[in-house]
Amino acid sequence: MAGSQDTISRTSAAGGNTTGTDRRERLRRFWKSDFVRSSPYWLVPFLVMGVAVYGGIVWNFLISLTDYEGFLQPPDYGHLDFEMYARALSDPAVISTGKNTFVLLVAFTTVSLILGLFLAILLDRDIRQKGTIQTIYLLPMALSFVVTAQFWLWMYNFQNGLVNTVIGLFGLGPYNWIGNPQLVLGAIIFALIWQFSGYCMVVLLAGLQSIPNDQFEAARVDGASIIKTYWRVIIPQLKSASVSAAVVLMIFALKIFTFLYAMFGTYRPPKGTDVLATLMVREAFNLQNWAYAAAIATILLAMGLLVVAPYLYYQYKARAL
Amino acid sequence: MTADNRIGSDSISRRQVLGTAAGLAAAGLAGCSGGDTTTEAPADTETDTTPAEPTPNDTALEVLHAWTGGDGAAAVEKLTSMFEEEYPDLATNFRPIGGTGNVNLDSVVARRLSNRNPPASWQAWPGQNITQYGGLLANITDVWEENGYTDTMNPMAAELSTLNDEYRSMPLVSHRMNNLFYNVHVFEDAGLDPDSIDSPSALLDAFETIDEETDAVPMAHAMSGTWTTFQLIFQNLLGMDGGHDAYMNYIEGEGDKANLVDALETTGEMLSNHITSDASTISFTEANQKMMDGDAATIQQGNWAYGMYRAEDSGVAYQDDWDWMAYPGTEDMYMLHIDAFTFARDTDTPVKQKMWAKFLGTKDAQIEFGNLKGAIPLRTDIDSSRLTPFLEMNADHLANYDKFPPTIAHGLAVSPEAMDACLTAIGNNFTGPYDVEAAATGLMDAVSQ
Repeated sequence: MAGSQDTISRTSAAGGNTTGTDRRERLRRFWKSDFVRSSPYWLVPFLVMGVAVYGGIVWNFLISLTDYEGFLQPPDYGHLDFEMYARALSDPAVISTGKNTFVLLVAFTTVSLILGLFLAILLDRDIRQKGTIQTIYLLPMALSFVVTAQFWLWMYNFQNGLVNTVIGLFGLGPYNWIGNPQLVLGAIIFALIWQFSGYCMVVLLAGLQSIPNDQFEAARVDGASIIKTYWRVIIPQLKSASVSAAVVLMIFALKIFTFLYAMFGTYRPPKGTDVLATLMVREAFNLQNWAYAAAIATILLAMGLLVVAPYLYYQYKARAL
Repeated sequence: MTADNRIGSDSISRRQVLGTAAGLAAAGLAGCSGGDTTTEAPADTETDTTPAEPTPNDTALEVLHAWTGGDGAAAVEKLTSMFEEEYPDLATNFRPIGGTGNVNLDSVVARRLSNRNPPASWQAWPGQNITQYGGLLANITDVWEENGYTDTMNPMAAELSTLNDEYRSMPLVSHRMNNLFYNVHVFEDAGLDPDSIDSPSALLDAFETIDEETDAVPMAHAMSGTWTTFQLIFQNLLGMDGGHDAYMNYIEGEGDKANLVDALETTGEMLSNHITSDASTISFTEANQKMMDGDAATIQQGNWAYGMYRAEDSGVAYQDDWDWMAYPGTEDMYMLHIDAFTFARDTDTPVKQKMWAKFLGTKDAQIEFGNLKGAIPLRTDIDSSRLTPFLEMNADHLANYDKFPPTIAHGLAVSPEAMDACLTAIGNNFTGPYDVEAAATGLMDAVSQ
């Protein structure tokens, strides 16, 4: 965008002179500027993203300010207020699903990152069959939510699921992973971590491998242990890699709706796993409370941004972004 | 790989890793943008049925339904081919939209209606369910009257097909809800006489006997959705002394909480002690299979469960391996579920819509569809011997009974808002641990809104 600023300053500098030749000259210069000439490359994606994503967000926010419901009346944009938000914040369903969403966002992102870092460091230690192991860890990420949800539903089966069989070997359980409201959210988070820690591993491994070997050697010469080398020298350099991994993980956590729908085949997952996304779909498509559902969607978006914001700000201050 | 491989010079280079990561991230982001929108029918059908200048003959009759698989798909295939045979020159566009309990279909319809682009006709439970479409549905009273359907259709089904005193829906078939399917061998092993089980409490005693005498679990139940439990609670309410009146009062919003507490206590006892332990992770088809295999003695379901028994490779035969009884205490009732089609106002195909409505009410359409779907025609003047023996028995009940409590878990009895509130009350309080008091309060509040 540096080109565009140049153009603006040049055109405004020439603004004092208003003869026809001058105007033509300015126009010619404008058409030849980097800003215009580069536009075929960025303008189309910019417009598509702008309308489809940000336009959608803005429109959704506008709808949430109306009282739009049912099929008969189109939304009335003449009377905008925050009534739907007030209603949402005093709705016990929003509070409890909001809590579940928050726990899911934080636990899933944190544990996946830590596990991914651990795996990346292991792989970075030059073990044998590194490529194969990397593929094995990454593979679950390639599977669709529809597959992994059904797969984990079988895994968590009380009678013949693999999870209860394995922990039974250690004399534990069996637990009713899905039927017990206190366990089910954890069980779902675990399934998601299984699917995405491999992705974190790949991103962090890329970060690790971009660190020059000299630093390891320098640390060794200075007498630092392996743990200390990683903790003090290497991990602090993985900031930008972990930011990008965290953002992608957050997006997947917000997509939990797909996973729950594939698992239970209904917009109403069992107690303990109801999240803002499922509540929003029920309000919109079962009950046609469009404005209320739009308000819930905005709250969900704000929550996603809030969770990641402190981290992004910290990274920004540390000049990692 | 040799030990002196240095970091970064391995068989997978840094660039490859970065490239894979970036590719996956891009794929992931692309997935987000397309993920959550409701699935529509495959693209082989034209989405836009209105050309620039619509002419009555060119615009296809667009019908949305939810029968995407198994016996439903075969039945709707038969139905549409019969319709096309009857009206060979008529352009049609039948679009299946899958999903349990019509959820996907309903959300596609909701989106189409709010976008002012309604389908001509779609499958919808009638009764209270269609109140949500109030003001948007076509009046088809003339079709009912001209063809005499007002006299030949089951009277409760006819009443449920009206909204604001006009007919706005055409019922096709019914599934009976108050069933208890049981495994004959398990009952024999336990020494139980099905006729002696005539109330929910007698059923609980029978469950005790099955527990003691056999290895089978007394009842297969699927709890991966809430609707199965919702259904069971109200079977137990209907089965109590005076259950029919208690139920009808409840759905009118004038129920007695004490009755609900009784029904919830019975249900809680069943769910706590007598159902399959993996209930929370299985769907009703898996639960049904357990009954067929003899791992469970009974299952309470709508008679769509029958679709699995009569499949050629099911390995079970009617009355030899599986049998039916009305849910204990509901012997003189037929709890009514209805599959019907409803019709949008202000479409380009008003005449074709009425042809479709008329066709749905014919005996042949209802019998042929019913036989394939395992469902019961709603016409009371059919020759029931054209149906399979199990359906014939149910069709005779439908023609001769006078108590037809409308199903609550499938849209007929209460409005979508009330049904949603009921499911929330059960989902929060009655999926284990079982809080009878809180669930009863929630259910009472749900219908009094």
